[in-house]
Amino acid sequence: MAKIGVFVCHCGENIASMVETAKLVSTIADHPGVEISTEYKYFCSDPGQETVKKAIREHNLTGVVVAACSPRMHEQTFRKACAEAGLNPYMLEMANIREHCSWVHTDKKEATDKAIEITRSLVEKVKRNNDLQPISVPVTRRAMVIGGGVAGIQAALDIASAGREVVLVEREPSIGGHMAQLSETFPTLDCSQCILTPRMVEAIQHPNITVMTYSEVEEVDGYIGNFSVKVRKKARYVKMETCTGCGDCIQKCPVKKIPSEFECSLGNRTAIYTPFAQAVPNVPVIDRSRCTYFKNGKCGICKKTCQIDSIDFDQQDIIETLEVGAIVVATGFQVQDTSGYGEYGYGRYKDVITGLHFERLASASGPTAGKILRPSDGKEPQTVVFIQCAGSRDVSKGVRYCSRICCMYTSKHAMLYAHKVHEGVSQIFYMDIRAAGKGYDEFTRRAIEEDKAGYIRGRVSKVYEENGKLIVRGADTLLGRQVEVQADMVVLATAMVPQHDAKDFAKKIGISYDEYGFYNEAHLKLRPVESSTAGIYLAGACQSPKDIPDSVAQASAAAAKVLGLFSKEHLEREPVVAMVTESTCAGCWGCATACPYNAIDHRDINDRNGNLIKRVASVNPGLCQGCGTCVSFCRSNSIDLAGFTEKQIFAEVMAL
Amino acid sequence: MGIQEQYRNEAAELLSSGAVKLVIGYGEGSTSDRRRPVFIRSADETARLVLDANCIANLSGYLVPEGLLSDGKSVAVFLKPDGIRSVNILAAEAQVNPDQVVILGFDIDGGQASPLPGRKATDFAPLIESQKSTGLSTELQQEADQLELMSATDRFEYWNQQFSKCIKCYACRQVCPMCYCRRCIVDVNQPQWVNTSSHTLGNFEWNIVRAFHLAGRCVACGGCDRACPVNIPLRLINHRMSKEALDAFDHFAGESADQKPVLATFRQDDPETFIL
Repeated sequence: MAKIGVFVCHCGENIASMVETAKLVSTIADHPGVEISTEYKYFCSDPGQETVKKAIREHNLTGVVVAACSPRMHEQTFRKACAEAGLNPYMLEMANIREHCSWVHTDKKEATDKAIEITRSLVEKVKRNNDLQPISVPVTRRAMVIGGGVAGIQAALDIASAGREVVLVEREPSIGGHMAQLSETFPTLDCSQCILTPRMVEAIQHPNITVMTYSEVEEVDGYIGNFSVKVRKKARYVKMETCTGCGDCIQKCPVKKIPSEFECSLGNRTAIYTPFAQAVPNVPVIDRSRCTYFKNGKCGICKKTCQIDSIDFDQQDIIETLEVGAIVVATGFQVQDTSGYGEYGYGRYKDVITGLHFERLASASGPTAGKILRPSDGKEPQTVVFIQCAGSRDVSKGVRYCSRICCMYTSKHAMLYAHKVHEGVSQIFYMDIRAAGKGYDEFTRRAIEEDKAGYIRGRVSKVYEENGKLIVRGADTLLGRQVEVQADMVVLATAMVPQHDAKDFAKKIGISYDEYGFYNEAHLKLRPVESSTAGIYLAGACQSPKDIPDSVAQASAAAAKVLGLFSKEHLEREPVVAMVTESTCAGCWGCATACPYNAIDHRDINDRNGNLIKRVASVNPGLCQGCGTCVSFCRSNSIDLAGFTEKQIFAEVMAL
Repeated sequence: MGIQEQYRNEAAELLSSGAVKLVIGYGEGSTSDRRRPVFIRSADETARLVLDANCIANLSGYLVPEGLLSDGKSVAVFLKPDGIRSVNILAAEAQVNPDQVVILGFDIDGGQASPLPGRKATDFAPLIESQKSTGLSTELQQEADQLELMSATDRFEYWNQQFSKCIKCYACRQVCPMCYCRRCIVDVNQPQWVNTSSHTLGNFEWNIVRAFHLAGRCVACGGCDRACPVNIPLRLINHRMSKEALDAFDHFAGESADQKPVLATFRQDDPETFIL
């Protein structure tokens, strides 16, 4: 005989102001099987939970319905209370009369009637609930970090230093990411490579870190604690084991005029190359699409040059399958393609460049060895105009958000320019200066006050060329007039956008993304480093535009989450998994095709002599996430979901 | 030699050589224009086989009974192109092993049955491909268009009247080669999703559930339509689902033996017109 306790919460005024709780309590009290029905101001409070526990003990309740908020909020709280009072925690149901009722209605009577219906349907469900036991699954205590920029490196180092193994996967030939391209960093003006390269070296030397460069994640299977990741190690055509990184092959390579990706095409590289001098690992790769040997077989100079025979033209891509328990996604960003800004002349005028180009010009290791020389004729520009928000906060260009770093790096650029070209004039067109961060506002003030950065508040309408000068026409909204500035070089503070393949990658590994392609966190405020998929965490600019301090902080936070997961050998999982009724399963495998988690296997049913009678579907409870896709697919209704069985759902619906 | 003679000989040859253990074909029916399935197990019985323009039933459903193919031996079956597509679906859904099915293929055109070359389901791939490019039946489409012209209320009323005739005899299910489940959803009574009595609501539930279960699987053999004792135009429901699957997902039921079920798969470029 069911003995159900119904506990109606007022949630202060949240529920009580719209739902007549007294009427709800008395109506439900008369429902068959309800042993006790009561109300209270806050059942989630300590005394509230005590009331529930006491009632379970005193009335020997077989099920509990808490009519309150969404199960997302307090289901765990009351499950625990039930367990403490000796009732199986899965004999609890939350009737959501707040989000689904009081918050969204304005008519008290109708809201009360709806609350009664919602609560009654959950009473009917809980009557049919069964005791469930949590599933315990082992955790593979090894992490994978995808993306070897500063965020990925930081996350890998933190996890590794806590004693856990890490695989760091980077698709470029070297780790380092965008930070390796930068010159100095705000707000301290320390050299980017000088602070990054020690971390890169630490990562590759760390005994707990396996760095896989020139490698891409192909496929992710499995679930929290037990992922199986296929990684494609692209053929480098250089033997990692023997190459000493002497660079002779690079010196001798005859294909020298390939625009270097690392230098943003301001410099060239060879067909066999390392992206930059401090590359980690310092092992070159051959760009197959540009290499003469791969084009017509008539070169091979690198192979002849190499004294230790480390060139191997026959190398093939290798697919490696790795078992990991957690994944940190730190795939970073890219700079928006500014060719959409025809009015700024990017692509048409050589001296209209992006912020990243300027970083390379200002970098001591860059193509100009740190001298600010304009790309068209290599002369030192006497006037530089910087245009902020060239892409960001512009609905018409598809980027509504603020890229967060441009105000700061533009200030920095003006400062670096002033330090390098003492007589140079810098003019910055801005919408407003966003300098919220430790030492940030002081930094922009310094640019203005000490380094004479000229700030003009307004947008630029057009950049065009006249008599060898770039004319920047814009508005000065503070003075309320049009301005025209003659410039030798124009720097666009282009937007930070997701990687070009960010959405495809998200689909591949099974995480969600926003309208732009930035990866979604599980909760913007309370779970900012977790993705919506358990066991996959986010770090750095793949989640949203971020500067270096924020990326590093998020990376360490993600590492802490991973280490929290790895603190136990086993993981307790909700027992909400699918079950197959083998007697009626027709073995059509529609469920197996539909299952997003590959959780459905074949199982042979044999007679006592071992002859096959039939083959049926079988759910692996370790892999099953309880999504119910198979249940809805099965034509013969041979699959059911524990905790949400058809009987339970049917009763719930029929009680409405 | 006519096609009937040719296929009788072929069946006898298959049986006597031991290539197949059984031939599923057509025999004389209760009236001169009706055919009923016959199951021939020895060469000297093949004279019972009939093959003419009246042989319209899709016999592929007889391949499915539990245990028929579990000894690994082959079975020959007379099939029109629609039946060949059914075999592909049954193979895709792991109900038959296509290697064990010898197809005695034929087509009916202009009141004449004519042989189709090929014996394995894969031999008919070009034929099925050309059928796909031709598209679904234009006659059915014209009939369906009449319904499409109605307002939603009128159309609902039309089906309301049609379904109110249903007596839940499940003849449509029994004749359908796709309804191979050992237990049909209508026979589930814990909980009783579909009302068993033949009230219009339960009738709606049953017919719509069946339409969805056939989405992307129906080959328009017309079996259910002919079997229905109260003449519900089931062909139109199934045609509509086939059209939807073909237009939206380029899914032509029974294209090949490794076709994935349309309702269990997705492609990244699938139209998502149902998401408002």
